[in-house]
Amino acid sequence: MQNQQQIILAAYLVLFNNSNSILKKIFILAGILFLVLLFFTGAYEKYGPTPLPFVVPKGWPQPPTNIFASNPSTREGFLLGKTLFYDGNLSRDSITSCASCHQYFAAFSTFEHSFSHGIENRFTQRNAPGLFNLAWKTSYHWDGGVNHLEVQALGPITDTNEMGETLDNLLLKLRNNPQYPPLFKAAFGDTAITTKRILKALAQFTGNLVSAGSKYDQVKNGKDSFLPYEQKGYEIYKQYCSSCHSEPLFTNDKFSNNGLGLNKLNDLGRKRITGLSRDSLQFKIPSLRNLKLTPPYMHDGSMGYITQVINYYTVIDSSLPQLDPILKKPIRLSERNKAELLAFLFTLTDTSFTKNKNYAPGEHIIFRH
Amino acid sequence: MRFKNNYAKKFLPMNKCLTTFIALFMFTSYKAQSQPDMQKIVIHFKHVANGKSLHPDSVYQNPLGETYSVKKLKYYLSNLGFNKQVNTNISLIDAFATDSIKMMLPYPAKKGTFNFQLGVDSIYNCSGAQDGVLDPLNGMFWTWNTGYINFKLEGQSDYATTKTKHFEYHIGGYTGKNKTMRQIRLPYAGTDRTMQLYILVNLDNFWKGQSDIKISTTPVINSPGAIAKSAADNFSGLFSIIQQ
Repeated sequence: MQNQQQIILAAYLVLFNNSNSILKKIFILAGILFLVLLFFTGAYEKYGPTPLPFVVPKGWPQPPTNIFASNPSTREGFLLGKTLFYDGNLSRDSITSCASCHQYFAAFSTFEHSFSHGIENRFTQRNAPGLFNLAWKTSYHWDGGVNHLEVQALGPITDTNEMGETLDNLLLKLRNNPQYPPLFKAAFGDTAITTKRILKALAQFTGNLVSAGSKYDQVKNGKDSFLPYEQKGYEIYKQYCSSCHSEPLFTNDKFSNNGLGLNKLNDLGRKRITGLSRDSLQFKIPSLRNLKLTPPYMHDGSMGYITQVINYYTVIDSSLPQLDPILKKPIRLSERNKAELLAFLFTLTDTSFTKNKNYAPGEHIIFRH
Repeated sequence: MRFKNNYAKKFLPMNKCLTTFIALFMFTSYKAQSQPDMQKIVIHFKHVANGKSLHPDSVYQNPLGETYSVKKLKYYLSNLGFNKQVNTNISLIDAFATDSIKMMLPYPAKKGTFNFQLGVDSIYNCSGAQDGVLDPLNGMFWTWNTGYINFKLEGQSDYATTKTKHFEYHIGGYTGKNKTMRQIRLPYAGTDRTMQLYILVNLDNFWKGQSDIKISTTPVINSPGAIAKSAADNFSGLFSIIQQ
């Protein structure tokens, strides 16, 4: 910006030296007008991307860290991120996109699949979680191995079972795709396509996925009320579930061993990351939000129905070694209680999120905060 | 830019105004570059094993009696400098591609130490996407367990118990006990003023130092932890300054 101003000023100075007095006056007047416009309307700012402020829903805590601290959220960055998210070119087979396993209508989980399908009919090793409220997380993946949202996408893009692409090839494909240079220019100021920009744009999209419009949220904001059995379910939830699946995010973002044991893939969970035996079979506690849309359940998708999950926690074997101490206390629920709990859990479904055009494929961006 | 101030000078003769403007511009540009103590230092690297230059087609024997060949040797160096003056730039050294690096450093008048860190500062491991030498494109970044691989050595050995006889040491880890960054201090005689520094990187000392890294027992290290940490403890033995 400074350079541009210097050039404009220099051009005016040259003109002043060579023109007659009337022209000179016109130039001076035009110059003053131009400068006034430039400084007092702030018009020059319009050349940059438009900020897309991240808004914390009413009554929610601030995110523990600002994931946009070095990646200012803008409409153009978000649109680029969304375009990348829905683009199969990010995978080696050029068909599998992020959205293949994180489906828009399923709160960005893989509907009805315990493991998602990567390229060439390969299976992933864990159940694809829904993507929302990621800005409140301090670690990502079921084992918490990823410490920042910006670097999360590197995992699925390069994993041989998922998108199986190399970063070199990805850059080549995007640079040769006429769609992308203008999008990168709009988001970042020039057409350079780099790993860092791809990751930052994706993080602008995924970090802005906020789901806070469920019936539960309406009730909390005084715009709706629970039916009697939903209210009873809410009491049951507060008694038995809320220490791990805490409000308002419905997760405390920590890790827990819920006694499922070692699966056939020998998935040790968090131990793979920390190397500590006490972290064996610990997995990230998922959010209960939108759970109606995200079956099957558990890190390996081993439970197809939410009723199965509720039943599981009522019959859990408290003698299991390394079981989370919280689960050693028996949860006794009558069939009626289970139904009430289920009714409450279904109030966590946010159709305003799953039908939000801002997040859908295409160019809609109509954020109104 | 003090636009309004410059514009207020319209009452001055235009040529004078222009000259003042150019002078101001040149002054600000000059000020940014004047760092009288800094010199451009060229740091040369000579990678050897068994006293021979490192070459991807050669076979070497480590001090534990195991024969091997090297396919890849890459590592990060950061905070390089003499005594307490350091340049915070990070360099990625590839034994088969990097002969030397150039950087601006205050050159010492007397003898002292040449210091650097093998590895990437923890801040770059936990603040999202990076570029330049830290671009994940360089293959020195773990995607499943965030963090940089500070040191990467790969090759073939009949002693490796892996199916393909491949060995692989990806040494990384940036937090707490698992830290694998190592501060290295090399005595420096400080006699010549050629602005050239020659560093010998002797791979023999990777295998045998504070602890032994045996291909037959540990052909693969690719996660942070106790083994990676003990391998990192051998880093300081790899480097020495060749006095010219």
